Amino acid sequence: MITKTADILVAIILLGFGLIVMWDSFRLGSGWGMEGPKAGFFPFLMAAIAVVGCVVVVRQAMKGTSSVKGNKPFVPSGGMKPVLTVFVPACGMILLTEVVGLYVAAMIYLAGYIRIVGEYRWRTVLLVSIPIPLIFYWVFEKIFLIPMPAGMFGAQILRF
Amino acid sequence: MDILTNLAFGLKVAGEPYNLMVAAAGLTLGIIVGVLPGLGGANGCAILIPVTFIMPPVAAVILLSSIYWGSLYGGCICSILFNIPGEPWAVATTFDGYPMAKKGQAGRALSAAFFAHFCGAVLGTIALTFFAPVLAAFALRFGPPEVFAVMLLTFSAFVGLVGKSPIKTLVATAFGFILASVGIDIVSGELRLTFGLTPLMGGFNFIVAVIGLFGIGEILLTVEEGLKFEGVKVRMRWSDITSTFRDMRRYWKTLLLGSFVGVWMGFKPGGATPASFMAYGFAKEAMNEEERAQFGKGHVAGIFAPESAAHGAGTSALIPMITLGIPGSPTAAVILGGLMIWGLQPGPMLFVDKPDFVWGLIASTWYGNIIGLLIVVAFAPAFAAVLRAPFPILMPLLIFICAIGAYAVNNRMIDIWYMMIFGVIGWAFKKLDYNMAPMLLALVLGDMAESAMRQSLIMSQGSLLIFLHPPITLPLVIAAALIGSWPWLAPMVRRMRGKGEGQSAGH
Repeated sequence: MITKTADILVAIILLGFGLIVMWDSFRLGSGWGMEGPKAGFFPFLMAAIAVVGCVVVVRQAMKGTSSVKGNKPFVPSGGMKPVLTVFVPACGMILLTEVVGLYVAAMIYLAGYIRIVGEYRWRTVLLVSIPIPLIFYWVFEKIFLIPMPAGMFGAQILRF
Repeated sequence: MDILTNLAFGLKVAGEPYNLMVAAAGLTLGIIVGVLPGLGGANGCAILIPVTFIMPPVAAVILLSSIYWGSLYGGCICSILFNIPGEPWAVATTFDGYPMAKKGQAGRALSAAFFAHFCGAVLGTIALTFFAPVLAAFALRFGPPEVFAVMLLTFSAFVGLVGKSPIKTLVATAFGFILASVGIDIVSGELRLTFGLTPLMGGFNFIVAVIGLFGIGEILLTVEEGLKFEGVKVRMRWSDITSTFRDMRRYWKTLLLGSFVGVWMGFKPGGATPASFMAYGFAKEAMNEEERAQFGKGHVAGIFAPESAAHGAGTSALIPMITLGIPGSPTAAVILGGLMIWGLQPGPMLFVDKPDFVWGLIASTWYGNIIGLLIVVAFAPAFAAVLRAPFPILMPLLIFICAIGAYAVNNRMIDIWYMMIFGVIGWAFKKLDYNMAPMLLALVLGDMAESAMRQSLIMSQGSLLIFLHPPITLPLVIAAALIGSWPWLAPMVRRMRGKGEGQSAGH
């Protein structure tokens, strides 16, 4: 996908969001109420600005007067793979958090990433992935008393 | 003098051992955060806001502002040693900083940058100390229409002066305001833009947005570009520092000019980046032919100018934040958000209601920048070594820390998912020139701007003329209109002038 297509696509998505916001604000009442502007007044105005702006962005992109270079690939070749190797495992960690809690999920995530993507020796992997989440656990849960998500089983796993 | 008495009081508050310790910890963290790509001052502050809940507000604001000063100091390490500007205002530093480092003068370049930062900080702090109380006293007279006019000026300055695409800045700002209005309307209590979905009822928290847009987004950009940190090794010798003193004596005008440009520009939102480039340009102009040729090849004045401007701008960005409640930089926006979370109402009343808080903050800026200078000069090589940590270990760790920060704000699991979504938005927006700083500012200031506007309209019973009252609102609104439409006005003015010249040439 070239940047021009991405530019237009993003603007159209934003335009869609703007229209949804306008519709909901209109439902709430975007005009003058009993005592002053109604709840939908401000978001309606902002969404209207956004929608008009998006139309201009699309036009600029079509005419080639956009500030971004349109014919460059949006993601440089070979760039998508590293982005996904960061993004997908991170989402995996968050999913795991719902089950085993953030600290255990982070251990698994760190270990998996450092071993598979970083191709480090097991010794390095374990030396990083086990103690660091434990230190954070101690600092946040014990010193600052800020609880992190425990998931369904996290409280049973980390019991100290 | 009143200000000096207050400053002495503030110095006593900020000088308490606990507060000094907090400042030193904040500075160290800030420098690390500033050195790391993908984590700037805004992010560092956002992640640590939950930690400040257990602190008194004075210590909390000292921690956050110290992180800010630290991140400003730390930013130049990355740009000089690795040719990778951690922040947009560090770009100008790479022009001369990296060539110097490659010539084997890394220590001298770093020490020049640190002392330039200190000069900018001193001028900025002087402005903060003496100008902020005056402005606050003036702003005490502000009602809702004046507050709204100031906001209008702020955002039109972003549209008109900052960023590559004014129209996209406008769109991003509007979406910032839209995100801010999701959830319960503070005036009527109605649910807005929630579409019956429970997760949307809590609204979007700006901290989560900061961590996503600036943290995760920046990490994604970094891995996409496949940056490798093959930097120059650095050792700071005593001779580097003494040679910096000699350079400072020689180029004191450059330093002063840079600091001044920084303080002046930093006052306006988004001013740090243009300030650093302007200062670089001015410094180059002021040199003689022979020295000008050295610019871009590793001239020490090419470090002095942008770095003193960047730190001056960063410091003076606090002036509108504590006096008007309008932050001049993304990091100042996060600190302002923190203020609201601690239950303080930002704005001129702070000077009246919470003098210990305001003067503690101002005084800690003095301490913070002095301690910061000592820390960076003493431990620069250690901080640079952070960047030599292997990327496959650093990267997942950063994401783990970001997740902690995003969750801790409201203890909501959904916020971690929002963080990832904001990360993708940040990644795409950065590539397409959507400016994220005003979007963040709009998210932080959304409630304030909206209620100012609605209250004004209630006061005037719907008449827009209330925004056109002299002596305060009218000039502000006119300035906002002019600045905001400048990208469209400028070509027209140029065309008219071009025509005029053509005619006079014909006659």
